[in-house]
Amino acid sequence: MKRIFLALLTISCGFLAQAQERKIDFVEYDLDNGMHVILHEDKSTPIVAVSIMYHVGSKNENPDRTGFAHFFEHLMFEGSQNIDRGEYDKYVERNGGTLNANTSQDRTYYYEIFPSNQLELGLWLESERLLHAKVDKTGIETQREVVKEEKRQRVDNQPYGSFMAEMFDRLFEKHPYSWTPIGYMEHLDAAQEKDYVDFYRTFYVPSNATLSIAGDIDIEETKKMIDKYYSTIPKGQAINLYRDFLSLSEDEFQEKYNHSKALFDEDQFFTNSSDKGKVLIAKYANKEVEIPRPSIEEPALEKEVIDTVYDDIQLPAVFLGYHSPAQDSEDAKALQMLNTILSGGTSARLNKEIVEDQQLAVSAFSFAFPLEDPGMATIAGIAAKDVPVDSLRMAIDKEIEKVQTELVSEMEFTKVKNQFENRFYSSNSSVAGKAESLANNYVYFNNTNRVNEELKQYEDITREDLQRVAKKYLKKDARVVLYYLPKDKKNK
Amino acid sequence: MKKLITSIAFVYSALIAFGQIDRSQVPEPGPAPEINIADPEIFNLDNGMKVILSSNHDIPKVSFNLVMGSDPRLEGNKAGLAEFMGDMLLAGTSNRSKDELDQEKDFIGASLGASSSNIYLSCLTKHMDKGLDLMTDVMKNANFPEDEFKRIKKQYESNLLSVKTNPNEMAKNAMYKAIFPDKHPYGEIMTESSLENIKRQDLVKFFKEQFTPAGSYLVIVGDIEREKAEKIANNQFGDWEGGVPFEEEYSMGYKPKGNRVIFVEKQGAVQSVINVAFPLDMTPGHPDQIKMRVLNKLFGGGGFGTRLMQNLREDKAYTYGAYSRLNVNREGSWLSASGSFRNEVTDSAITEFLYEFQRITEAKVNDEELTLNKASLSGSFARNLESPRTIANFALNIFRNNLPSDYYQTYLKKLNAVDKNDVLKTAQEHFTPNNLNIIVVGNTEVLDKIKQFDADGEIEIFDAFGNPSKQKEYRAADIAPQKVLEEHLIAITESRNIRQAKRRIGRIETLKKTVEVEPKGSPMTMTAKQYFAEPNKEFSSMQVSGMEVQKQVFNGEKGISISMNRTGGKDTTYFTDEKIQDKKKTAGIIPELGLMKDTSNFTLLGLDSLNGNDYYVIQYTQGESSTRAFYNTSTFMKEHTEKVEVNGEDVQTISAKYKDFHKHKRVLFAHKITQIIGSTTIESTVKSIEVNVDIEDDKFKVE
Repeated sequence: MKRIFLALLTISCGFLAQAQERKIDFVEYDLDNGMHVILHEDKSTPIVAVSIMYHVGSKNENPDRTGFAHFFEHLMFEGSQNIDRGEYDKYVERNGGTLNANTSQDRTYYYEIFPSNQLELGLWLESERLLHAKVDKTGIETQREVVKEEKRQRVDNQPYGSFMAEMFDRLFEKHPYSWTPIGYMEHLDAAQEKDYVDFYRTFYVPSNATLSIAGDIDIEETKKMIDKYYSTIPKGQAINLYRDFLSLSEDEFQEKYNHSKALFDEDQFFTNSSDKGKVLIAKYANKEVEIPRPSIEEPALEKEVIDTVYDDIQLPAVFLGYHSPAQDSEDAKALQMLNTILSGGTSARLNKEIVEDQQLAVSAFSFAFPLEDPGMATIAGIAAKDVPVDSLRMAIDKEIEKVQTELVSEMEFTKVKNQFENRFYSSNSSVAGKAESLANNYVYFNNTNRVNEELKQYEDITREDLQRVAKKYLKKDARVVLYYLPKDKKNK
Repeated sequence: MKKLITSIAFVYSALIAFGQIDRSQVPEPGPAPEINIADPEIFNLDNGMKVILSSNHDIPKVSFNLVMGSDPRLEGNKAGLAEFMGDMLLAGTSNRSKDELDQEKDFIGASLGASSSNIYLSCLTKHMDKGLDLMTDVMKNANFPEDEFKRIKKQYESNLLSVKTNPNEMAKNAMYKAIFPDKHPYGEIMTESSLENIKRQDLVKFFKEQFTPAGSYLVIVGDIEREKAEKIANNQFGDWEGGVPFEEEYSMGYKPKGNRVIFVEKQGAVQSVINVAFPLDMTPGHPDQIKMRVLNKLFGGGGFGTRLMQNLREDKAYTYGAYSRLNVNREGSWLSASGSFRNEVTDSAITEFLYEFQRITEAKVNDEELTLNKASLSGSFARNLESPRTIANFALNIFRNNLPSDYYQTYLKKLNAVDKNDVLKTAQEHFTPNNLNIIVVGNTEVLDKIKQFDADGEIEIFDAFGNPSKQKEYRAADIAPQKVLEEHLIAITESRNIRQAKRRIGRIETLKKTVEVEPKGSPMTMTAKQYFAEPNKEFSSMQVSGMEVQKQVFNGEKGISISMNRTGGKDTTYFTDEKIQDKKKTAGIIPELGLMKDTSNFTLLGLDSLNGNDYYVIQYTQGESSTRAFYNTSTFMKEHTEKVEVNGEDVQTISAKYKDFHKHKRVLFAHKITQIIGSTTIESTVKSIEVNVDIEDDKFKVE
């Protein structure tokens, strides 16, 4: 044992000393229209990742129009003014690329990875959906069915798949985190075409977008291409004037703007319209698009809420949910480290104690769910066969009490730091990963270079901090206890 | 006026940045980038290991993959042995307990993984020595501790249980058994009995044989230089000793004479999993392999632009997705096409699969689909090169499969050269559209519809693990069905004949039953109250700590069920006409009494044995649900029932055991009932039975 301990000591020193030896270099700037651009050159493989992060997630949704942000992610694959329906992904596949997108509570992220000679194609594709995506009835109808199918597959049909929605629903009453990005299907059904169009006009504008590119690129050449496809999009409401020009009839346009569509040139709207048209464009360019961001503060929970969900499952489970601090706070970092003490790796406490030693659960885990506003921390377990779910809950509670009453050991503390370092390098090992990390740091922290400081952030955190946040946030009398029981137990 | 001028001036300055751009013009690609696949470094160790090194200093991490050189072995009645050994490899060594191993591995933030034929370590470069210390300890000294053996075995037991409810697993098992039926490692599948045969000693022995340096590969990738890699390989692995690797050749699979339909039952399934598969006479490096890849991609190998997707999803909407998979290995190769389909379209879907198999061998593909699928393949090839692991794996494949050394360097060139004639020729040479295994996992109701696809019209039935099984056969019972139920009534009333039995039951006009219900693993106990009144009124209520969570009432004509929903409100549903008809069949104090009224209500399936006793098995259906009741042949007591309950898409199997019979007003009632629903066990204990007490008519009100 002594031998092991010594070996561990030698490893642990110098953790942060050499952590940041490899920097991710990048160039960043704003376009006149407010779009933020981040470029990272990495020539090791001839591929490039092109991405846009829109600072809109489910928390920006209207409470009776939930699921919109995620729905838009789907709609954005429907095509655009210059891309026929169903062709968007074919452009990508035909040119050797891959693409995808995802939506969280706080942002929506789109990306393509191409052979590097297709960089311009990627920029064109993303500019098409930013400028004039097909937000129309046909697309809405098609995607509504696809989204419902997705919900069935990912949430309804997945054992315990509804726990996020169920937990957020009970933890949040006022803040829009009370629903999850998938939202409520009836809201999508109830929505009118206008609701969709309004959402597009409000959130899909250059000033709400961050273009992040990483890979085998030439920075100067890339800037020129960006100028071509993105600087040509005017700022402010001018983009919506153009979208209205495309989608409204002459009468509707007249009514809204008191001018005829004839003032404008369809092909070269921003450059070749009549002088009068240009005046209008300039006028609307000066009108800012206001992006609503909720400033609702969720009141603290004041008791332990206990509830049960019946699901198509074989093994009962228990989920404990707590309010957690916003991701940019010091406490959030401490809580993340604490989370790793509890469930990072096979030697973490929940797995060792509850799954392997006591064999009360088939798995036990925790998430520190970092979000822009104060969010959720969850600790959970799925009971082993024939184990009463309450004894599992008690065992988990005991682990929570332990981190509240005792400092974590020096060894565990160092372990977590080592795990963080490893995780950091793994997530930044691909150009796609780097493009996303860079965008995240800009959008969430307004500090792109934080990507190079990420590990240092944890330097000042102490073991006492971990104990403090355990006490502050993992309170027994301010949490949701959610049991998952097999459906048949309800019926029989 | 002045205002207008300034604003126009402003406009022009504002627009100056906006050059003309024709957005309808799709950008042209730049010159194709050169794809360089760096040659990894190769060196040998004295003990027979070959080291493959691919250096890359982008991030300060390094990985070591130790790959064994043996061919897979036959496991016979211990099928699953290799997998088990791999799963237990990290469960401890003679130097470290599992806890210590986990602790030390996590401490350096490393990941350490193992299977029956490899050990993989990935860590920060600075923790490399420590990581290798752990890795080589496992490699040399894994000791398979007894308690961990028991724990993992338990895990396998639950996994095997879940195979029986997983149609995709069942289809896969059936496919392996169909293609590799005889003395082939791919055709050996773990079952409950083979798991039972595996002993800890078997794992220890197999580990010793399998993990040996001779013929093995050490693949090093990442932030490390050749000099250091050589030093480490020699220091950490050079002194490792062992026997010779195992070598064996296996048959390349069985091709049926004509199309062959194999069916695996999944009770109550609403979808059929269809898998159409055939063996390929092709090993890695075969001159047609790259053409075959293009063919498979275009046929159904991922993405929307494939034949199977276009036909079965986009055109017919039979499924959410249909795919084909190509597997080319040294030991055996095959192509399979599969998807999940609604019961009603099972036969139509098979027809379309067969049509696509036929079509691809008959006519050339069109230019657009070929271009798209080729581009997609070469794009993913290029993207994969980003991971340094890919390059090292290329080298590993070249050695293991005896490929030409420029195989991957020239891969894209060969891929791009594949044309329409190649695709057709490859399909004609390798596809066997009239010698396919058509595997269907689903509901027996589709059986009749799929017979037509079998060349000799005889469907083979496999069990969940791919072993031939006949549909459950009952031994003939020499007794009239009606007689079984009559004898049962006589038994529970201890009467001399059926008249007396009916009389005795008839004396019970009302019944109040209180039952304590205890689901294992649930935090609560529930109380059920059941009231009956002749002829067929029923009331039942389920309470959790004094609160009624569910209630069901049937008054002989109408029925209602009310249950509490999550928000504390109540969901009310009235019985449908069908349900009322079904309820009438069995409502009342003794369900057999209702059943007996019409002999078409039930069938006698025959004799079956359970735990050493013989039983008459009576089956009756209610809606889509069906129940089998087991009556002891000597006592005629009902000791067991099996019910498949179908509620729309919800299907549940509920088996129940009845014990501890007590007499109430001359009729015997079971006081202990154990139900097993899925993997949960529910114990019900009768707390009280009161006969012929007054029950307020209110209780049976349906409103």
